Amino acid sequence: MTTTPLPYFHVNVLTGLRGCRIIEDPSEYAMLIKRAKRPLFVLGANTLTTMLGGKLLMEWAVEIARTLNIPVVATAHTKKKLMELGYPPASSYDLIEIINHLKDPNWHGVKKEGNHDLVIFLGVRSDLGNQGLSTLKHFAPHLKTMTLCKYVFPHASYSLANLRDDKWKEFLEKLIAELNVKEA
Amino acid sequence: MTQLADKVTKHQAEKNEIIRADDPWEPVGHTPMPGLPDLRNWDMRLLKTYKPFYAPFCDLCCFCTFGKCDLTGSNRGACGLDIATQQARFFLLDTCMGMSAHGAHGRHVLEYLIDKYGEDYKIDLGDQVEVEAPNIRTVLGLKPKTLGDLKKAVEYAESQLIQLVSSLHTGQEGSCLDYESKALHAGMLDHVVMEAADIAQIVGFKYPTSVAETPLVGLGWGAVDRTKAIVCCIGHNPVTALPIIDYINANNLQDKVEVAGICCTALEITRYGKSAKVIGPLSRQLFFVRAGIADVIVTDEQCIRTDMPQEAAKAGSALIATSPQVCYGLEDVTDKPVDEIVAMTTGLKQVVMFDPEKAAEVAVRTALALAPKRRKELAKPEDVPALAKDHKLCNQCSRACANLLPVGDAVESAKNGDLSKLASVFKKCIGCGKCEQACPRHVPIFRMFQAAASWESWNIRAGRGPIMDVEIRKVGQPIVFGTIPGVIAFVGCSNFPEDIEEVALMAEEFAKRKFIVVLSGCSAMVAGMTKDADGKTIYEKYTPQFDAGCIVNVGSCVANSHISGAAMKIANIFAKLPLRGNYEVIADYILNRVGAVGVAWGAYSQKATSIANGVNRLGIPVVLGPHSAKYRRLFMSRKEEEDWKVMDGRKAEIVDTQEPSPEHLAYVVESKERAMVAIAKLVMRKNDTPQGRQIKLTHYIGLHKQFMGTLPDDLQHYVRRSTDIPIFFKKEVTEYLNKVGWKEKPVLTLPTWIGTYPTKVPLDAVVH
Repeated sequence: MTTTPLPYFHVNVLTGLRGCRIIEDPSEYAMLIKRAKRPLFVLGANTLTTMLGGKLLMEWAVEIARTLNIPVVATAHTKKKLMELGYPPASSYDLIEIINHLKDPNWHGVKKEGNHDLVIFLGVRSDLGNQGLSTLKHFAPHLKTMTLCKYVFPHASYSLANLRDDKWKEFLEKLIAELNVKEA
Repeated sequence: MTQLADKVTKHQAEKNEIIRADDPWEPVGHTPMPGLPDLRNWDMRLLKTYKPFYAPFCDLCCFCTFGKCDLTGSNRGACGLDIATQQARFFLLDTCMGMSAHGAHGRHVLEYLIDKYGEDYKIDLGDQVEVEAPNIRTVLGLKPKTLGDLKKAVEYAESQLIQLVSSLHTGQEGSCLDYESKALHAGMLDHVVMEAADIAQIVGFKYPTSVAETPLVGLGWGAVDRTKAIVCCIGHNPVTALPIIDYINANNLQDKVEVAGICCTALEITRYGKSAKVIGPLSRQLFFVRAGIADVIVTDEQCIRTDMPQEAAKAGSALIATSPQVCYGLEDVTDKPVDEIVAMTTGLKQVVMFDPEKAAEVAVRTALALAPKRRKELAKPEDVPALAKDHKLCNQCSRACANLLPVGDAVESAKNGDLSKLASVFKKCIGCGKCEQACPRHVPIFRMFQAAASWESWNIRAGRGPIMDVEIRKVGQPIVFGTIPGVIAFVGCSNFPEDIEEVALMAEEFAKRKFIVVLSGCSAMVAGMTKDADGKTIYEKYTPQFDAGCIVNVGSCVANSHISGAAMKIANIFAKLPLRGNYEVIADYILNRVGAVGVAWGAYSQKATSIANGVNRLGIPVVLGPHSAKYRRLFMSRKEEEDWKVMDGRKAEIVDTQEPSPEHLAYVVESKERAMVAIAKLVMRKNDTPQGRQIKLTHYIGLHKQFMGTLPDDLQHYVRRSTDIPIFFKKEVTEYLNKVGWKEKPVLTLPTWIGTYPTKVPLDAVVH
């Protein structure tokens, strides 16, 4: 059992026993991503409106995805911007649709190479995101989930702490740097 | 065996008597007054394609003293229940609550009207509505003629409810699918009781009927005339609100007293009296009450703040509660003389009373007495910095915000004189008041909203009740062929994820595209709260006739039954299918042939759950806003994996259509842009003619390109033959289809599920 800190938004408070593991070290996050055989990156509508360090959150997402060529699911209406940024998504399922597929251990995945073992979320509205993560926590024991937003997501396997923008930016910068380091 | 057969016969005989089975208006179908198991096979067929998707809101069960039990993952509770079944159980509970709220409303209205006019009071919905009660006809098999018949419909729903709620008890149902079947049953019953309630209101209170162009009425708190005494009615049930209007008229007080409403009671009073005003949806309730404009607040039932006594006291408004469902612990003064009660209420003593006419007199006299003393001064922009002077940016308000809004930042800016952020937050505010509650420095955020909010007034078209038979006759064929691309119903509450304008924007997009757009409840209100550059709302710009490119307000929550009813009437009036006790045939027709989609963008309540479940059982998909993920359950397919076979009714052959239409039955999306694309896709039906499919694909492709920047990547599923390809996009669609290896799909003459699952309904029942 893990003690999960309070999420930023009270509406997302955990009513249960199994909460996320908060990870504060970007290199640990990077290691988890690198270790994954088939990671998947799910982007939500907030990547289109959130600014961080003078850049759109979507640009951060593309930078992260490019490091390991992680396939992206463009939920909501994020596909257009993603195309403009030159990183065409592997899929444009909506959030609940991709989660519905991920629940099935035998699903073929967005690249038809098998279901994913690590699903990374960024920019999904936090109450919707936490509900989607709840589905995966309960019904998808075959995979791990990770969030990159600046809030605690109790239903994720791995979550960031509640961070101020400067700390969040620092985390993402270090994460990108770590992901760019080639394994020996 | 004989005893059992006798019992069955006796039960059947009772049903036959209730529905007057000998009355020959239509043959009685296979499921008159269905019980829990009677439509279970239909439900299981639905659930085979549209599987429940669960998003637990809580990992625990705390229903009994075995618990709390942690149901995480593969755990089971002390009773043996798993997490999926607990979600389904909760969903059934929600649906029962919703159906009960409408049913109790219906019973209250019926009892009031039957006391007044008697059980034999005739139902007459005017010369344009002969199919008066499609839900009651289809579900019960009864053609209601009187108020007494409507009461039978409510009593039938009540008899089912006791069984449904019983299944929620610990140690009862153990299958999530069976709980879902029961929830679908409760949803179906909800439309029966809503229909009974609204027909009773229309005939008993003489609301407009058989007319499309109902009056435009004032909308918004700015529309309320603050020079008069103000009575504010909050809730859903018009039984007390309407006598208030009668009292004002009978005493020639129209120039002295204003009646305005919040939530669905507002829609009811404007169906009754043109001078009444709609203040706004549920999300504006606390804002208006705290503004202190109301001299008297009259509550009836549903969606009223449960802290109304405290809020009314703080605002200096008198409070009269009038519903047995909502008494607030107040003293029942029903039997006291009016003068005595008025003396109490003018002294701001809060009361509950159950005599509507008496309550009406008390409300008006109290408002007249209190209005001159109204202390209400609204906050002005220049007052804001002083109101916010104690603010420190701790963001406790933002963290408490149920709509995840940056309240703290907005208050901080307002403290420095910039109200723009506060105005932006207010447009997205769902009105819960948690921000103020969380503030350690007691900053009066809602009072600051008064200065930031627009005090503009708008227009809404008064609710019109049932869609007329003549309208259905005109649009039935184009809807079924697909040349009118769809019927889109914006329904439900005001728990919107973003700006309050989003409903108006989406509704207008589809009206412009010549869909049929209908609205109800809080969604109908907010649709009127946006003006174009010429100062017009969508109610003033689009036809109120149920036809391509219309904007139709059917009315309050209970008027949602006229939307499901319109779909049933298409099957009946256009396709000549009998409704009577014929639920499966009608639902099968709607699922496969009627391109209707519900949109509940701000659903919050249990009533929204039951309304959605009711249309889902009829095969109508519903698109939900992001808050609805908290309902715990959706119905979704996986288009590449599911079985999309149907029976071709004329050939009696099973055909693999490979076409995921409609793709989902209950589906949450995050943004309005995605919602519009989803709606355009969900209207496609297997029965579409090539011309109809071309039109539907034109909208789907057009919206997808607009918001996603590309052609849809599932286009190959929806192009059956090259004749389906829209001419406007022919070149690029053909190139795309060639690229993905698209092949032509089988042609159907009459798509149906009958014959593909165990049912008593013979295939020839759907061939017409």
